[in-house]
Amino acid sequence: MTALPPPTGEPLAPADPGTPPPPPGVGGAQDWQRLSPRMLLVHPVRAIRSMIVPLVLVVFGVTRGDGNSFWFWAAPVFAVLAVLFGVLAWFFTRYRFTQEQLQLRTGVLSRKVVTAPLDRIRSVDLESTPIHRVLGLTKAKVGTGVDDSQIELDGLTRDQASSLRVYLLQRSSAAEVDETEEPGAAGGSEDAARTGGPRRGEDTELARIDWGWLRYAPFSLSSLVVVAGAVGVLGQFGDDLPLDETEVAQDAWGWVAAQALLVLVAGATVVVVLGWVVVSTASYVLNWWNLSLVREAGGKIRTTRGLLTTRSQTIEEAKIRGVRMTEQFLLRFVRGAELTALATGVGSDGTTRLLPPAPRRVVQEVGHALLEEDGPLTMTLTGHGPRARRRIHVSGQWGTLFLAGLAAVPTWWLDVGWFATWPWWVPLAVLVGVGLLNAVVAENAWRNLGHALTDRHLVVQTGAVIRTREVLERGGVIGWVVHQGLFQRRLGLADLTATTAAGAERVVAPNIPLGMALDLADAATPGMLEGWRA
Amino acid sequence: MTVTQPSSVPDAAPLHEPAHQVSPRAVRYWALQGFLGAVVVWGVLFAVYWFVPDGVQRWLGPVFVAILVYTVVEQALEPIIRYRRTRWEVTGERVFAQTGWLSRDQRIAPLSRVQTVDTERGPLMRIFRLANVTVTTASAAGPIRLTCLDTDVADRVTAELARVTGQTRGDAT
Repeated sequence: MTALPPPTGEPLAPADPGTPPPPPGVGGAQDWQRLSPRMLLVHPVRAIRSMIVPLVLVVFGVTRGDGNSFWFWAAPVFAVLAVLFGVLAWFFTRYRFTQEQLQLRTGVLSRKVVTAPLDRIRSVDLESTPIHRVLGLTKAKVGTGVDDSQIELDGLTRDQASSLRVYLLQRSSAAEVDETEEPGAAGGSEDAARTGGPRRGEDTELARIDWGWLRYAPFSLSSLVVVAGAVGVLGQFGDDLPLDETEVAQDAWGWVAAQALLVLVAGATVVVVLGWVVVSTASYVLNWWNLSLVREAGGKIRTTRGLLTTRSQTIEEAKIRGVRMTEQFLLRFVRGAELTALATGVGSDGTTRLLPPAPRRVVQEVGHALLEEDGPLTMTLTGHGPRARRRIHVSGQWGTLFLAGLAAVPTWWLDVGWFATWPWWVPLAVLVGVGLLNAVVAENAWRNLGHALTDRHLVVQTGAVIRTREVLERGGVIGWVVHQGLFQRRLGLADLTATTAAGAERVVAPNIPLGMALDLADAATPGMLEGWRA
Repeated sequence: MTVTQPSSVPDAAPLHEPAHQVSPRAVRYWALQGFLGAVVVWGVLFAVYWFVPDGVQRWLGPVFVAILVYTVVEQALEPIIRYRRTRWEVTGERVFAQTGWLSRDQRIAPLSRVQTVDTERGPLMRIFRLANVTVTTASAAGPIRLTCLDTDVADRVTAELARVTGQTRGDAT
């Protein structure tokens, strides 16, 4: 079992970067190609996997005696139908390359043709699940810089996929050199200089997995959700546990039962923590095995990773408009951070994860190498001042008032059922407790809030529990939105949004003093506000 | 990691408002639209009041009266204020729109980044011969709406924007 080809790839690059012909095995210039027939083996496996839950239910139903023979026979029939449909789908799925386009025809009953202009292809992702890998297959996802939708070719052979990747990205970067990007007000010529420029040398590795980073895995919150879910499922069996005993136990047994309850709670906590550590570490290893982040010759960024399912993502560097550094509060304790790229045309929110939870220092170094500028991820930012603090605190407390009001109505005015047992001070307790919590969160949000501008990037940091620092290339800023709510207007604050095509399509600096906002926008995109500044 | 707070934050003047106002007929359109919305709200309020028991009516009544008064005041003020604050401008290379009646939303985008220009007329808007022009860029966060323009103006603006953006090359991301 070999992994995906090494990042250097086969030397399929033709000498002349004008318009290279499609490589052999990818498809002739005009012929419609089917995906690999080996996909016919993948479909039954998938069908069976998707039918497994109903099948198990049916089998259980049958063995319990009240079995319904209709379902007993129907399930296999559905499975066969699913396989048949998969075969038909394979039969009717074809793709080809013309001189300008990649075209994909799909659909059994309703036919559909998807096309992507070859010059506009900005990213190629290759993904192989374990089934794919056994059969030597790969799924390729091709993204154009404009749409969020990607063209999926599920079932290329490994060689086809790797030559497809090299070919497609070569085509588009060759086109990029000819056609200088639009000289928009926000400096598009800068990109052209970067992509068409001198970077035609060696591949350089920006980052490689270091197993010392594994210690950050338990601090990632995503796995907590998984473990909590599992505990929730186990909780379904909680009825069988002798917990009800504690309510009737008024005598000596009561003490024993209470102790048992304590032990049970402590045990459950230990199980959750252990489960969390195990699950998070395992998912870290599965996802990030063999991670390598490479800047390829010709200005492309490629990540490869994965233990069972291998993933390779290649993005044209000009389409990476910035990075986002995320620090959850648990990760902050251990000085860890995560790194994500903000790009256009890579699907799924326009973000591509570059680094797993890793030491903040590494994240900053890799981020800076990617941005080709030192500072955005380490520099001191400008805060938004005392009025922003006031605004954040006040707006944070609306939720407190609402919750307290919600508690007050049943406590003071409803004397029915369970509510009658609520003592009079419940709303006050809610007010104080939630109020303190919100105050802490708001203070944190204000302390983290800040912005800066470097020679090439706009930097904005936000967040209380999850601190995120977004770095956006100034050339990637499309336009600006200055929003002032009623209360913000009275304080001279605004929410400044830089609109962009990359990532979440916006970078927002909330509660920024209006003067600062306008200065920032003016400096980041010279000329955009000209004539409208007072 | 660190954030330093500025020593002083001077007050700053907002951006100049865009040059053009929307069609004066927009006031009547907003008034009618608001009235139709308010009628629905009033209907719901009366229906609820009719069906709740007497004990609840006693304290629900004042709340509903407050809501009624608010909607009436809003009906009276909103269209006029909105008319004064909704403005737009298209210069040679940029488009700038301001909306909002209590809040203020100012959106700016260069025409070189514009991807589509749509004109839209709802049934109610057609009565008043109004149209919205929506200018979208490659960012989902940045559509700029020039609301309630006179249809002739809207057509002219659309044609002009289409002409200018047609000259742009590249994919405008």
